[in-house]
Amino acid sequence: MKRPFSLAGIGFILAIALALRPGTGVHAQAAPDRKDDKQVTFTRDIAPVVFQSCARCHRPGESGPFPLLTYDDVKKHARQIEIVTRTRFMPPWLPELQALKFADEPRLLDEQIATIRKWVEEGAPEGNPSDLPSPPKSVEGWQLGQPDLVLKAATPYLLPASGSDLYWNFIFPVPIDRTRWVRAVEIRPGDKRFVHHANILVDRLQNSRQREKEPGAGFEGMEIKIESETFDPDSHFLFWKPGTVPYLEPEGMALRLDKGTDLVLNIHLQPSGKPETIQPTIGLYFTDQPATKFPMLLQLQNDTKLDIPAGEKNFVVSDELTLPIDVDLLAVYPHAHYLGKDLQATATLPGGSTNTLIHIPQWDLNWQAVYRYAQPIFLPKGTTVSMRYVYDNSTENALNPNHPPERVRGGNRSKDEMAHLWLQMLPRNFDPKAGDPRMQLQEALSRHDIRNNPADFEAYYNLASMLQARGNVAHAIAEYQAALRIRPHDATANNALGAALIASGQPDRARAYLQAAAQTSPEYFDAHYNLGNALASAGDFPGAAEQFAAAVRIKPDDADAHANLGSALAELGRFAEAKAQFERALGINPAHALAQENLQQLQSAMGNH
Amino acid sequence: MVFRHLLQMVRSYSFRKLREKGGGRFLPALTFLMLAPAFCVTQQTALDLDGNSVNPLKSNAGQLVVLVFVRGDCPISGRYAPTIQRISEEHQKDARFYLVFPDKSESPSDIRKYLRDFRYSIPGLRDPEHALVKQAHAQVTPEAAVFDAKGALVYHGRIDNLYEAYGRARSASTTHELEDAIQAALAGGAPSNKEVAGVGCYISDLR
Repeated sequence: MKRPFSLAGIGFILAIALALRPGTGVHAQAAPDRKDDKQVTFTRDIAPVVFQSCARCHRPGESGPFPLLTYDDVKKHARQIEIVTRTRFMPPWLPELQALKFADEPRLLDEQIATIRKWVEEGAPEGNPSDLPSPPKSVEGWQLGQPDLVLKAATPYLLPASGSDLYWNFIFPVPIDRTRWVRAVEIRPGDKRFVHHANILVDRLQNSRQREKEPGAGFEGMEIKIESETFDPDSHFLFWKPGTVPYLEPEGMALRLDKGTDLVLNIHLQPSGKPETIQPTIGLYFTDQPATKFPMLLQLQNDTKLDIPAGEKNFVVSDELTLPIDVDLLAVYPHAHYLGKDLQATATLPGGSTNTLIHIPQWDLNWQAVYRYAQPIFLPKGTTVSMRYVYDNSTENALNPNHPPERVRGGNRSKDEMAHLWLQMLPRNFDPKAGDPRMQLQEALSRHDIRNNPADFEAYYNLASMLQARGNVAHAIAEYQAALRIRPHDATANNALGAALIASGQPDRARAYLQAAAQTSPEYFDAHYNLGNALASAGDFPGAAEQFAAAVRIKPDDADAHANLGSALAELGRFAEAKAQFERALGINPAHALAQENLQQLQSAMGNH
Repeated sequence: MVFRHLLQMVRSYSFRKLREKGGGRFLPALTFLMLAPAFCVTQQTALDLDGNSVNPLKSNAGQLVVLVFVRGDCPISGRYAPTIQRISEEHQKDARFYLVFPDKSESPSDIRKYLRDFRYSIPGLRDPEHALVKQAHAQVTPEAAVFDAKGALVYHGRIDNLYEAYGRARSASTTHELEDAIQAALAGGAPSNKEVAGVGCYISDLR
């Protein structure tokens, strides 16, 4: 069964928090030997701040456009540094200070900003060289050491000299011969000065390859969508932005990579004024410890409500989801495009108290990021997670891609808008015997998607497959039918409904749907295979043999299809051909029980002749 | 060669001093110049990439002169390269364009590489002592100054409004101050804006 999960790869751009945010409530450790009347100097007062908060990116080879490692470096940009720190454009960090803390906040303290200002006002003096702390140590090359596997983009991307921002996707086939567990992924996006952010999507079915003009060429696009075949929801944020330190997954939360999996790197680029060549590499760090904890990325979104009139300054989109199970919230990733202005997410606990999960008062697509909490946030069953995004489609929004403003609706292009909130949740307090608890989250999410958009085919489809996976076949059939009312010719849904009808003992009803699926998609293995089964249950062995023959033509290495073809041929008395099929099935899988059993029976039948 | 430039600078230097401070200053200025002529040259003029002092405002052959101030370590300067080059090509016949580098630590070979990398075909000048910066009232890089055929400053400031603030760039600019100023000056008039502040790297931070 194939189930389309809508996983937008998130791509993108630009801006600043101009608002002054006074009184963060945090206090700097006062330097013990500093009196207020003393002159502020670079070596004593400024260098420690710059080395700690700026130099990670502002050094050669990193994303900062100029180094900030010496007095000369800093002096040459002193006024600029004063402005960008005062406006909190730098260090880049969009969320407001809040009670629920994020990990690795690079936020400067108010006192540090005031010190920089005083220093610049006093003429940016160097001070006593003996006060200078040692410059920050930097690790060259891979930050976590040599990776276990390094993947390099097959074809570099040539970034043009001018124009607006660009989104490019590189596909990295992963050359592994068995399932591996990944404890860290280091993304080296190429020349970091031109890459605003990058995001890896796990493409388990090599779906994205269809979008390449030729293998390895890559393809353009800000948002991409990837299908999955079994219930295997995206679970990890694999994200890079300037200053990113590679993230080691917590104990037990390694990412599974199977043979044949592709990694798709979605990368946001900004032209520099001259042509640049971008050729990213990805380093994978493996562990022998398979995952024991399985988080899930849930997406709140309400894109169908995005229809923003030209000139509208405060267009609000909101969405909410009530959690069907206890979870730990590990990270959030808010996402909007150029019109997004104020992005907020809150959690309302069953008792009624509310917590701000994140609040970005001046959204800036350029500095979008995954925000991981310093500690997991426990959200009990019954908690309502809600988002409220405000959009500015007026000329006052400098980033408005339309001039004059135009009506903007939800969509995947950078000129369209998005209202997404991704949440990484880890189920807690569940009974492992009751099945994968993430299915309950997925079911709640699908019902929520249907409420938001009754024409959401994928929501009905995903809901049906969740119900079916949890053994509720009767309701699954109804939801598949609802999906097919929206897209009557969809091969995936027709096949799934046929399969559900077979599972509920109605192979006769299944036939028409499976035939529709095979007709729409003649190369659809599952449809032929299932149709073969439906025909065989009705005693139509010539028809069944024909379908299984089509199935093995599409997938010559599928032992089940060979075994079933053998059975149909045996029913038709074509023993020699049947024997060959059973042997072929056993050649692929020597332990194939059905093939073994049938071959034995066939041999005794042939012996009797 | 050197002597001719030196003479030219002596004249321009003394003349300015005279105008700024009134009479009676001529002699001390001259004395100073005579004492340290070489020092004076590097201090008071822009230099071409071979180290010769030049005054683009004096050798304009009756054309407009456009100075664009840039810095190699200023990303906004870089991003403007295609725009600056395009505007210079479109006005090849009516204006002389110079790319002016006010950071004295940028060597002629750094600048040559920069011009190559960013595909410039307009000449680069070094302005280590900010002679041109002062004449153009330049505040940040990138910034442009337009001088009319008589050498009078008619516009200085941003090239366009691509950047609203640091890191806050539009997908395309919606105003075009430099091009408007060139058009106005060519038509013999004054641009509607004589100066518009730009977003970029402060020249005053340079030593």
